[in-house]
This record gives sequence, C-alpha cells and structure tokens, in this order.
Amino acid sequence: MANTTNLSTDKKTSWGGGKSPFSVSYGKLMMWIFLLSDAFTFSSLLIAYGFIRYSFPSPMENTIVKPLSHVAEHFTEAMNKAGLFVQDHWPAPELVFNHFPFIHGIHLPLFFVSLMTFILIFSSVTMVLAVEAGHRMQKKEVANYMLLTIIGGAAFLGCQAWEWTTFIGEGAKLYGNPFGPRSFAALFFIVTGFHGFHVFSGVVLNIIIYINVLNGTYEKRGHYEMVEKVGLYWHFVDLVWVFVFTFFYLI
Amino acid sequence: MEHMDHTEHLEHTETPADMKSKIWRTFWILLGLTIVDIALYFALLSTHSMLKNALFILLGVVKAWYIVGIFMHMKFERKVLMYMIVLPMIFVVFFIALMLIEGDYTFLLRW
Repeated sequence: MANTTNLSTDKKTSWGGGKSPFSVSYGKLMMWIFLLSDAFTFSSLLIAYGFIRYSFPSPMENTIVKPLSHVAEHFTEAMNKAGLFVQDHWPAPELVFNHFPFIHGIHLPLFFVSLMTFILIFSSVTMVLAVEAGHRMQKKEVANYMLLTIIGGAAFLGCQAWEWTTFIGEGAKLYGNPFGPRSFAALFFIVTGFHGFHVFSGVVLNIIIYINVLNGTYEKRGHYEMVEKVGLYWHFVDLVWVFVFTFFYLI
Repeated sequence: MEHMDHTEHLEHTETPADMKSKIWRTFWILLGLTIVDIALYFALLSTHSMLKNALFILLGVVKAWYIVGIFMHMKFERKVLMYMIVLPMIFVVFFIALMLIEGDYTFLLRW
C-alpha cells in the first residue's frame, strides 16, 4: 500500500515519467540543446578574438578624423601615412568600417554595421510575430511574417556581401591587411563568415517553412510548432550577432 | 503519429495574452540599447580599460536576456529548462573575462 502511494506521488512530480519534465516537446528541447552547443562554438571564436585583440596594443589615438567629416579618396593609405594604421597596433574599428553604400567621401563610422544590426533585430521581431500568429492558427498572417523574416535575412546577407567586398577591395586578405595585425582581417573573415553561414542556413530553413505554411502542412497538423523551432534558431542567429557586434566593432 | 499525440498532452507553458505588445516593447528596448552601445563607443573612444569592455559585455548580456527571455519564450518556460541553458553560458561569460585578462598578460610579455 505504501509502495503504491509512493509511486503515485512520483507520477505527480516532473521526473516521475509519462510526461516531459521540461514541459516542451522533444523537437524543441533538442533545438535548445543544439543551440547551446552552437553557442559554445561561437563563444570559442569570440574568446579567441578577445584574447588576440588584447595581446596587441590598443588602437592609436584618433584626433584627426571626426564622424561625418569629409575624407580623401584613398582613406586607408592616408591612415597609414598618418600613423593610425600600423602593423603592431590593433586598428580602431570606426576607422576601418566607415563606408556606406552609395555615399562616398564622408566618414560614417559604424553606421553601416548599425544598420545591419537593426535589420537583424527587426527580422527577429517579424519571426516572433509569425510564431505568435501561429498560436492563433492564422495561416495568412504566419505566411506574411515569415516572408518579411526571409526578406530581412536576405537583406542582412546582402549587407554582409557588400561589407566583405569593400573590405577585400581595400586589401584585406586572410593572411594580411593594410589596417593592422594580420590576425585582424583573418578573425573578421572567420567570425563574420561563420555567422553569415548561420544566417544563410536560417534563411534556407525559413524558406522551407514558408513553403510548408503556404501548403497548409501545419494547418493540417493542427499546430505551428515547426515555426517556433525554426524561430528559436533564427533568434539565436540574432543573439550571436549582438555579441559579434559587441566584440568586433565596440571592444 | 504516436509522437504527435505526445505533443498534444503536454501541459503548455502559458504565453501571456498581451504577447504582441510585449514583443514590440522588447523591440524598442533592443533598439534603444544598441543606440546606447554606439553612443557609448564614441563617448569613450579615447579610454581603454577593462571596465569599458565589461560595460559593453554587460549591455550585450542585457540584450541577450531580452532576446532569449521574450523572443525565444524562455521567460515563460519551466525554470529547469532555463537553468539547463543559462547556467553553462554563465561559465562561458566567465571564460571570456578570463581570456581577456590573459590576453593582457600576453601583451605584457610581448611589448
């Protein structure tokens, strides 16, 4: 008798079996665990960045170039001459990333990368709105928000392609760059490249889910949990960008 | 079909009724914090200290809390799920701080 009572109380606790102790489905739990392991990978890259960055002297004091001021055509060469870009000093990010599409000759430090951050945050919002619409089983609304998320992701990838093109055009390579220590450009390509690859995978997943939503796959299934799972991945990509942004451009 | 039935009788963790307004509030907070980040970067351009880095990492962690908590729904999940994910990441933040300091020592050895 005592035994049966114990068993029945065990059933009532989360770990007694018969139900998920985390109160989420198998797929969602696995997505969380995958994201945790992916976070470790990104952390290792950012830790490597932080370590290498601080084993070099800080950027040279910049007193000549003010934001929004006019700059010469060959900005990088001018910075080299002015002694702001030297081989053994880490370059100041605001002097390296000061370009904006279609605007020439004006020093716009970190403007473009801030725009990229806003694009990614906004696409995260449309994703969570798609999830929210999924709870209400509004197929059309889910589809529209998914489409906006895909556009946001594609816009971000386009921005990144432009940024890489500009960076490479100025002479940055995996094995060297005109801004400072060799590892500066190498780390830039590896960290933003790895993140960009995640964004690309996210856009592909979003497109697959978008097509499934349009086909009514989830409507038939009775729930939009797949949108939530891919949403988790998409928010994670946004989350990683917050830290890439902090480490690469601010620290 | 069996696994689908399993999903059915999960007691769903409650999503608040005003989720939409919560999402937009979070969006404005994230936008504001990013602008604060950039403003601080230019305000503290000529200071180089670990305290400044700690400030930026702290702002990043606050943003992460809003993304994970509201967007990824973590705030409304079971606490046990939250600890499973958040506790390991606390050690990672500790690791980041340690390696930044270690980088400083490497700097002292080199220069």
